[in-house]
Amino acid sequence: MEKIATICVYCGCGCGLFLHVEDGRIVGASPSPAHPVSRGRLCVKGWLAADFVHHPDRLKTPLVRKGGRMVRGSWDEVLSLTARRFKEIREESGPDALAVLTSAKGTNEENYLLAKLARAALKTNNVDHVARLCHAPSVAGLGFALGSGGMTNPIRSLLSSGAILVTGSNTTEQHPLVAAHILEAQSRGATLIVVDPRRTQMAQLADIHLAPRLGTDVSWTNGILNLIIDLGLVDEDFIIKRTEGFSALKDLVVQYTPVEVERITGIPSGDLEKAAVAFGEADRAAVVYAMGTTQHSCGTDNVLALANLVLATGNVGRDGTGIYPLRGHQNVQGACDMGALPSVYPGYQKVEDPAARERMEAAWGTDLPAEPGLTAVEMMEAAEEGRLKGVYISGENPMISYPDRDQVMRALSSLEFLAVADIFPTETTALADVVLPVASFAEKDGTFTSTERRVQRVRRAASPPGEARPEVEVAADLLRRLGVDADYASPEEVMAEISSVTPSYGGISYQRLGISGLSWPCPSRDHPGTEILHQGSFPIGRGRFSAVEQQELAEDLDYPLLLTTGRSLFHFHTGTMTRRTHLLDRERPKAAVDINPADAAALGVRSGTMVVVESATGSLEIEARLTEEVPVGTVYIPFHFAEAPANQLTARTLDPTSKIPGLKRTPVRIRRAE
Amino acid sequence: MTGTSAFFLRREDLVPLLEELAETLEVVAPVLVEGEAAFATWRGGALALDDKNPLASPMEFFLPKKEVLFRYVQYSGRYTFSEDPPRARLIFGMRPCDLQALKVIDGIFGAELPDIPYAGRRRSTIIVALNCTSPGEGCFCRSMGSGPGAEGGYDLLLTDLGRGYLVEPGSPAGVYILRAHQRHFEEADPEDQREKERLLALAGEEIIKRGPSLNPEKIREAIDGVDWEEAGRRCLACGGCSLVCPVCHCFSVLDQGVPDGERLRCRDTCILSGFSRMTSGANPRPALGERLRHWYLDKFVYIPEKTGLFGCVGCGRCSRVCLGEVDRWSLFKEAAE
Repeated sequence: MEKIATICVYCGCGCGLFLHVEDGRIVGASPSPAHPVSRGRLCVKGWLAADFVHHPDRLKTPLVRKGGRMVRGSWDEVLSLTARRFKEIREESGPDALAVLTSAKGTNEENYLLAKLARAALKTNNVDHVARLCHAPSVAGLGFALGSGGMTNPIRSLLSSGAILVTGSNTTEQHPLVAAHILEAQSRGATLIVVDPRRTQMAQLADIHLAPRLGTDVSWTNGILNLIIDLGLVDEDFIIKRTEGFSALKDLVVQYTPVEVERITGIPSGDLEKAAVAFGEADRAAVVYAMGTTQHSCGTDNVLALANLVLATGNVGRDGTGIYPLRGHQNVQGACDMGALPSVYPGYQKVEDPAARERMEAAWGTDLPAEPGLTAVEMMEAAEEGRLKGVYISGENPMISYPDRDQVMRALSSLEFLAVADIFPTETTALADVVLPVASFAEKDGTFTSTERRVQRVRRAASPPGEARPEVEVAADLLRRLGVDADYASPEEVMAEISSVTPSYGGISYQRLGISGLSWPCPSRDHPGTEILHQGSFPIGRGRFSAVEQQELAEDLDYPLLLTTGRSLFHFHTGTMTRRTHLLDRERPKAAVDINPADAAALGVRSGTMVVVESATGSLEIEARLTEEVPVGTVYIPFHFAEAPANQLTARTLDPTSKIPGLKRTPVRIRRAE
Repeated sequence: MTGTSAFFLRREDLVPLLEELAETLEVVAPVLVEGEAAFATWRGGALALDDKNPLASPMEFFLPKKEVLFRYVQYSGRYTFSEDPPRARLIFGMRPCDLQALKVIDGIFGAELPDIPYAGRRRSTIIVALNCTSPGEGCFCRSMGSGPGAEGGYDLLLTDLGRGYLVEPGSPAGVYILRAHQRHFEEADPEDQREKERLLALAGEEIIKRGPSLNPEKIREAIDGVDWEEAGRRCLACGGCSLVCPVCHCFSVLDQGVPDGERLRCRDTCILSGFSRMTSGANPRPALGERLRHWYLDKFVYIPEKTGLFGCVGCGRCSRVCLGEVDRWSLFKEAAE
């Protein structure tokens, strides 16, 4: 038996674990005791991390659609067909009729090559990935306010916090190892403030729980800031020396009095005051947030409001302080870093910046498109309208994870050519013209970058099944077929290229990635990496306050309830892996809509009753579960389940800045199923 | 080499001895992986014997987390089955607590109707145990009567005396190894035996001093006094305590693959609600606190009833992995007070 040290495939915590390998098969997993995040612990998904790897459903051979049926093809056949079709579409309709969706489950090396495939080979900036649906507002909002969309501090920094404000994060379920750090800090005396409409376990463990109405985040955040200003708890020295724009913000937040905030959000003014005092008085305070903050049509405003709070209290650049956008996928940070976004090259160098473009053109030896491309949800619209004709999707399952499932179905079905690479058949591979079987995280070498910007080594513990190949090889093969040099002997050579074109990864090489990895920015070979950002200064000079206001919330009498969506501890995303992990699927085998007993009584619904949930976008039939975890007027559906896809209901209302859809607030109505 | 019950192995002779043993057996030993000791196939080189007992118990070589019970192949409507024979293995450096766990499992999987895969692995595995002369921080084997010195259940028992190891055989297989590789061993001095007793007594005192003096009888009595609802409130349902426990052995069986496939036996955990949930959806232990309580009841009441041995060996691993920061053993301190 071998024990292979690698990184967990699920959330952004980036836990180190050992895969137990016997005769080429993974037979177990255990936490890495010396790893800085896992510290000998894992969540239930981590303990079972590799359980799906040898599942018989794995895609083992390339598939190609012939006469309406998927039949087995050779790698050469499917890749030459893919390259040929992409070339034909480009010639007929121009490069912007093509797009690539990369995968936050892939390695940095894979994301880099796929982004390169879009830009250098297909000649389009139409490249995006699931970050569009999770932290695009953080990249935009924190990028504007602080100069970097990354989490400012390492997870363990939370252990030194005196107050931790957690909002829009079901931390114990979605980032259990971050939750463990927060709870440890709490047991050392930190005050835990949780803001969440639902009474999650995190909320139940909190010292102060604020339960705002969905979509009112800017109001309570401004309200807390207003109180902190009133109480004289702002860090005036920090504001003067390191920020700009405070007075405009100050003038605005005066309107957010506790009484007004209570009217808008439903948070009792006394509780708001307690939270403001606890956060403002702490010497070191931190803000932790996730999808509950970002997945709104005002997602960027929500992030900007939180950034205001940490800037005004000087909680940046020191241990125990900071703002922590928790990344949902183990490598969504890395996929963004690698430029798998329509507007930036690796290291967030803007495609519109001629100097950056010239550098990348020189590095890649080809000319590159100058206009930013389409974002993920825009791609679906373009496809339906016929502007987008050929798409390569790596390991994403938009049929389940994107808003407005029926529209996604129409969009993907109307493409002239769709190639999908994945480890399992999904609702999306079912629509593909070619399906490329690729290696899972346990079957390839590379790096993942965790939520704390920690670049870490991922190691091959077993061989991919059948003819499946690591996607880094697939991408390199396609690059060559499309006329771009891509003779990489190993993922390590890809990393060497990444570090040569990505300033923040300049000092990163496989030799240097020990057990703790390296946190970017790490610009040179002798640089130790940067665990805490913004010490002394911001990359943009001064931190920027933004006077953000509460958006008008649309109400619809036809749809009196508000639906919010999320994930369960026991499943991950569209469930392709966890629903094939026996213990996890047994724990949560089916979807249910959480309804408050008071609402349920009015609807005549009991636990187990089948109900129809309808929104302006669509409807679905699902079992009801009565729980006081959701407040009256709000219902909750986890989106993992293809049998009752929550995104059948969500709309494509986009945040104007970051183009994230407002997945977290959908007006719905519920009736008993016939 | 007759008449003597103890031998001495010089430190520098350990690796050559293992090299010889590895010619015919798979030698499993603690090796360093990412700076921590872990049991894995030894392929020469340094051993990680000075570190604390690895987090993943060598019990996984007897009860794998996931094992193929058999493979099935369908041909013209008929099924044929195949299984893998157990492999010949030597586990080096197994600690007394894990050895005690093996005894407990023998009382369950080796009882009247022995579990065939378990019995096969048990028969084909040689155990070279290592006494704990420098116990880990969270260890309380002394309180559970399972350490720091091993009592039986091994083929060979080693005690680190600094300049080398005192080696004592515990089975015919152990005696055979001593004979077959006798050039590495010399007769032990009676002083060596006394040195071993002294070191183990020191280690035992250290454990008592460091940790709470947990008495299994007291724990059994205290179980009803613990505030399980509060403990459950903080539990993050990772299942780590049972996935890391050397005594936990519950499993579920599933067939993967149609028409051909494998019957798998996978480690299960009573911390998950699905473990006790019935088809109707009803669950006798619906809350996490109730499931935690059951976990302790199993170790201190049910397993003792079945085997006469406590289901806890004091290895302290459950506290090391607890994600919810539930100090597993302080629960009882509070209840006792």
